[in-house]
Amino acid sequence: MTTDVLDTAPPRSVPPAAPPPRRRSGRFRGASINLLALPALLLFAVFTIYPLISGVAISFSDWDGYSADSNPVGGANYLRLFTDDTFRAVLITTFIYGIGSTVVQQVLGLGLALALDGKLAGRGVARAIIYLPVLVSPIVMGTFYYLLFQYNTGAFNDVVVAFGGERQAWLSTQGGGVTIILAVNSIQFVGTSMIIYLAGLQGIAPEYIEAAILDGANAGQRFRHVVLPLLQPAFATSVVLNLIGGLKLFDVIQVLTGGGPGTSTSSVSTLIGRTYFDAQSAGYSAAMGVALFFIIAVLTILANGALNRRRLEQQ
Amino acid sequence: MKSRSLAATLAASTALVLAGSLSACSGGSGTDGKAVLEFQTAQSVDSPVYAQLEAITAAFEEENPDVDIDLKTGADDYEPQMKVRLAARNAPDIWATHGWSLLRYSQFLAPLQDEPWAENFDDVLEPVMKNDSGEFFALPVTTSASGLIYNRTVLEDAGVDPAGLTSWDALADAAEAVKANGVVPFSLAGSKDGSAGNLVDWIAPGGFTDDELAKMSDGEFQEDAYADLLGVLADMKTDGWTNVDYTSATGDDMARSLAEGTSAFALSTNALVTLAWTYNPDADLSYMPVPPLDGGDPYLIGGEDTAFGVAKDGDNVEIAKEYLAFLAQPENASALAAAVGNPPGLTNAEPDLGALTDPFEQYVASGTVPLEPFFDRVYLPNGMWDSVVTTADGVLAAQSTPAEGAAKMAGDFDTLFSQSSN
Repeated sequence: MTTDVLDTAPPRSVPPAAPPPRRRSGRFRGASINLLALPALLLFAVFTIYPLISGVAISFSDWDGYSADSNPVGGANYLRLFTDDTFRAVLITTFIYGIGSTVVQQVLGLGLALALDGKLAGRGVARAIIYLPVLVSPIVMGTFYYLLFQYNTGAFNDVVVAFGGERQAWLSTQGGGVTIILAVNSIQFVGTSMIIYLAGLQGIAPEYIEAAILDGANAGQRFRHVVLPLLQPAFATSVVLNLIGGLKLFDVIQVLTGGGPGTSTSSVSTLIGRTYFDAQSAGYSAAMGVALFFIIAVLTILANGALNRRRLEQQ
Repeated sequence: MKSRSLAATLAASTALVLAGSLSACSGGSGTDGKAVLEFQTAQSVDSPVYAQLEAITAAFEEENPDVDIDLKTGADDYEPQMKVRLAARNAPDIWATHGWSLLRYSQFLAPLQDEPWAENFDDVLEPVMKNDSGEFFALPVTTSASGLIYNRTVLEDAGVDPAGLTSWDALADAAEAVKANGVVPFSLAGSKDGSAGNLVDWIAPGGFTDDELAKMSDGEFQEDAYADLLGVLADMKTDGWTNVDYTSATGDDMARSLAEGTSAFALSTNALVTLAWTYNPDADLSYMPVPPLDGGDPYLIGGEDTAFGVAKDGDNVEIAKEYLAFLAQPENASALAAAVGNPPGLTNAEPDLGALTDPFEQYVASGTVPLEPFFDRVYLPNGMWDSVVTTADGVLAAQSTPAEGAAKMAGDFDTLFSQSSN
């Protein structure tokens, strides 16, 4: 009887078949993979680049915004910006919205972030509630506050009357209108600042705080000398985002006051809309748009530059 | 093969992107071979006019089974929406011209003076709807004939006889009398509504001499006279004739105030009366000719109201004209005018003005009261309406002086007049 070596040999473990080496898809490889960005680029070109170029071209014409014909006017629309008292006044109001909203949102956003960074009960819910308005359309937010501040049926006036006071025309003056618009915008977007600062706070290594405590730093000193410097990147991000948002403010103004009385609560964005559609001066309106673009770009670069310098100095 | 798949993927993506961005197209032919015409109305879906248009359109489509009229509702942003469509060369086949068939839209519209119904075109509309060649560009469904709206109960409570309000001084006395009764004399809405501009349009005919108006027509803005006009508005504010919530008030607030008797007067089209009756159907509201500033005769403000034009470059111009002719049939034109609540724009249509029939018979049908055109449409260049509203709004809210408002108007007038002259 012969014994087959195979019968007596101990069973061998057969290594599993190695997976075939992964090959990069032949469909998209090399430089061709960049072509996948083409749809996005096309969208960007159609909705951003083309309108930008078109807007600049319109700004050198006297187009009324709908007719087939227009005439080139050179730089007349840009020169008009320097002599237009309305534009100058509205630009100042726009700066109030931009800078005011930025300041309010940094203070509130940082305060809320510090409060909700600790181990508080219900902090998740609180964060969600504060961030929720960011998800709401500014038109809806504006309408909500319009219903609160409205003269005849507004909730605030109902409260005033219930306490024996007289109804107030909250939105009928420039001071009242600008303050309310600024407050509504700040309240709506304070959640963005809070989230940015929270991310910044949670990125600070606890060792820094512990070292400061060992060195005898009190809470105020720790905040000023440790936390604030380390929050500089978050601060820069939040300031730039809020500044751009405030300078472009449109929807809330449109709903609350329509830019009135007169143009006293208008921003450059609402003035652009009125000039384009109502005053039928698309050329001048486009020039305002280009000017606003450069104003925002310059301010953003300056703010970014200043904040980066400060950060480098502290490092 | 692979490169073909890549090309197909990219082509499909690109096509989707372009389809998404270029998807707005006007009428043409439907998939079932029907001629599809887009009719952009300026009416909301729940308005009586839209309901009437739906009924008439259904009857037209029944008679013309190869035609599909696609009625589109309008909204508050109708005007900018139309401007964008015209700028994009994507005009509807038919659209509502809301008072601008000649000055703004005629370059896009087919002339209609040779249509069979043109012989019934109301002559009163001629100065504002016809050009020097006798062409007009819209079917006039209604004529706007408006004046000083008032709440009769409020005036009677204050001992004011409406028939006696034939001068601005008499109106001033009446305003003081109702104010003494704790009622706001004039109901106004803020800049979002444009009622400040209506105020200018309504009182301007008594604020300029014929010579000044002629100069305005020739491109010479009359800054001093306009400052005087704005001065009247400033006085209304300082004398307490206007509502405290002026800036935040809307057209609805105006109507409700008038209906509830918390204000006495309004200078607006009669649509405000119809709106006011939705708040209080029993409110005793009417209108009278506007007491003039200059001591002349009281007048009404009028001109083009609801009107529909046909795109001259549309795919179905002749069908669109047939549809307009259907709308112009006496029973249809009468029903539409009744739904609007204003006098018909065609002479063979019957007016049905409901509770406003009496003032219509007394002032409009009798032909005894002059009908003045809207000031801004005749004496100011196209595009000035926004300046009219914002400057009047600024003065009414005491944010600017009449002189500042007039100076702003002068600057805008010069810019837009030179633009329209090019």
